[in-house]
Amino acid sequence: MRLFAARIFCLPILDQPQMPLYLPIAELSMDVFLVIGMGAVVGFLSGMFGVGGGFLMTPILIFAGVPPAVAVATESNEITAASVSGALAHWRRQGIDIKMGSVLIVGGAIGSFFGAQVFTYLKSLGQVDLMISLAYVIFLGSVGGLMFWESVRAILRQRSGYVPPKISREDRHKKWVHALPFKMRFRKSKLYISALLPLFIGMLVGVLAAIMGVGGGFVMVPAMIYILGMPTNVVVGTSLFQIIFVTALTTIFHSVNTQTVDIFLAVLLLVGAVIGAQVGARVGFKLQGEHLRALLALMVLAVCTIMGLGLVLEPAELYSATEVVVSGAGQ
Amino acid sequence: MIRALAILLMGAALFAASAPAGGLVTDLSNKRIEIRYSFEGAQLILFGAVGSSAVDPVNDLFDVVVVVRGPEAETVVRRKDRVGGIWINNADLVFPAVPGYYAVAASRALADIAHPTVFASYGIGFDNLPLVARSERGLLAPDPKFKTALYRLRAGENLYRQEIDSVSLVAEGLFRTDVHLPANVPVGEFLVETFVFQEGSLKARNRIRLSVDKEGFERAAYDFAHQYPLLYGLIAVFVALGAGWMAGVLGKK
Repeated sequence: MRLFAARIFCLPILDQPQMPLYLPIAELSMDVFLVIGMGAVVGFLSGMFGVGGGFLMTPILIFAGVPPAVAVATESNEITAASVSGALAHWRRQGIDIKMGSVLIVGGAIGSFFGAQVFTYLKSLGQVDLMISLAYVIFLGSVGGLMFWESVRAILRQRSGYVPPKISREDRHKKWVHALPFKMRFRKSKLYISALLPLFIGMLVGVLAAIMGVGGGFVMVPAMIYILGMPTNVVVGTSLFQIIFVTALTTIFHSVNTQTVDIFLAVLLLVGAVIGAQVGARVGFKLQGEHLRALLALMVLAVCTIMGLGLVLEPAELYSATEVVVSGAGQ
Repeated sequence: MIRALAILLMGAALFAASAPAGGLVTDLSNKRIEIRYSFEGAQLILFGAVGSSAVDPVNDLFDVVVVVRGPEAETVVRRKDRVGGIWINNADLVFPAVPGYYAVAASRALADIAHPTVFASYGIGFDNLPLVARSERGLLAPDPKFKTALYRLRAGENLYRQEIDSVSLVAEGLFRTDVHLPANVPVGEFLVETFVFQEGSLKARNRIRLSVDKEGFERAAYDFAHQYPLLYGLIAVFVALGAGWMAGVLGKK
């Protein structure tokens, strides 16, 4: 996987660290400017497309040689920070449904807890890298594929001048959604639906956050629009609001279970991401929504393909060695 | 540096001259390696002197083999196999005690110094590392494929070295060799063993210790994360919340 990745990302800077920094948790030396640069590139893309960027950052960290378990756990920590700044902006224009967010958080906490347990168990079996890759291929492949198809259709329709018929609010939900018990009123989202639905979506996102090192916005935003039927002006803010808490919990679970959170790596990435996101957001405003979505979908599919190739191609080295416990004392 | 070394060598030579029977004296240029934030590996110099009672350096040739062995740790070696079209870790073998670093330096090719059985009896060289594998039936000799894979992986990381470094015989029973510790060297206590051979048999041996440790801030952060994981996680979250809030406030302007 790493050898393969090194061939793709032939960065000369990887060979010659300009300003090496020893990361105590990842237990390796990385170039400070390379780390900030990676943060900036991902920050630029996430600012441009309005996504968290975890699904890009975690694979890039793995390609750069960070152990997958450390990459996933550290990225959760970075996403917490990125979501706070994003959620603040939405809070100012009242774009957060706190009640809906809270239900999602409860679900997310349960999901994140079980996700972290599975992560710890598979790490002990030596299968955590496989699970991370598989989760990426499956989720990015399906979400990216759907997004690409939807945006291409929108672009083609726009060219031919087709306007889709408006769906009324009442018809938005399928019949089975109304049949669920424990109905709750969400004023901000103008919804009266079963609390089980957001609870379940929150859980799924919590599991993804724990095993993939992502915020889960790429699953939650479509789910909020198409399954819950939330108005678009509160979707992104509420999603970010939930991500803050779920990634914070995930960070704590990983710290306790596997000690794989590297604060220093997270902070360096964040510095780059904050700068990159500002520039990216400005570029993003100049592009059309459909084109942005199509580009994002292509990027998602590209990450999915690289992860998938790592699973399918025969690796250069079939064996790997992992130290279980560092005994500390020789002889 | 060179002057300091010369003085140390002279000191070693004087000490060697007055040493009792079997006199072999060695020392390292640095016995305590500290891993700090900018650690990129370390180069040490081992120097030593052979007294006249162990071998007669003036009349007879002798050979020196230096073995540096790092702290042992339980290590799992896994092999990927193609299962259902994808490559996954399939078979594994657990070695309860594997040195994290192992380097053999010699004054000549090992085969020219002594018979392989001599090296086997002192555990010198990759082939003679007493590695055992854990299984349901207790400790067993490991599958040679896994054992060679382990050597190949460790050698690729510059952690296992053999037939790479040489011991140079300076003069009059004095010798020196360089010890190369890469940036990914494990922390712990190292043992540096020196063997003097003559005409294929061991004449003298001695051992000195070397310690590698994370120091200062790196040590503190690592220890803290492992000893107080909950607190570490909470701090990580608060750092992230604070940084995100700051970024949000700055981004508004």
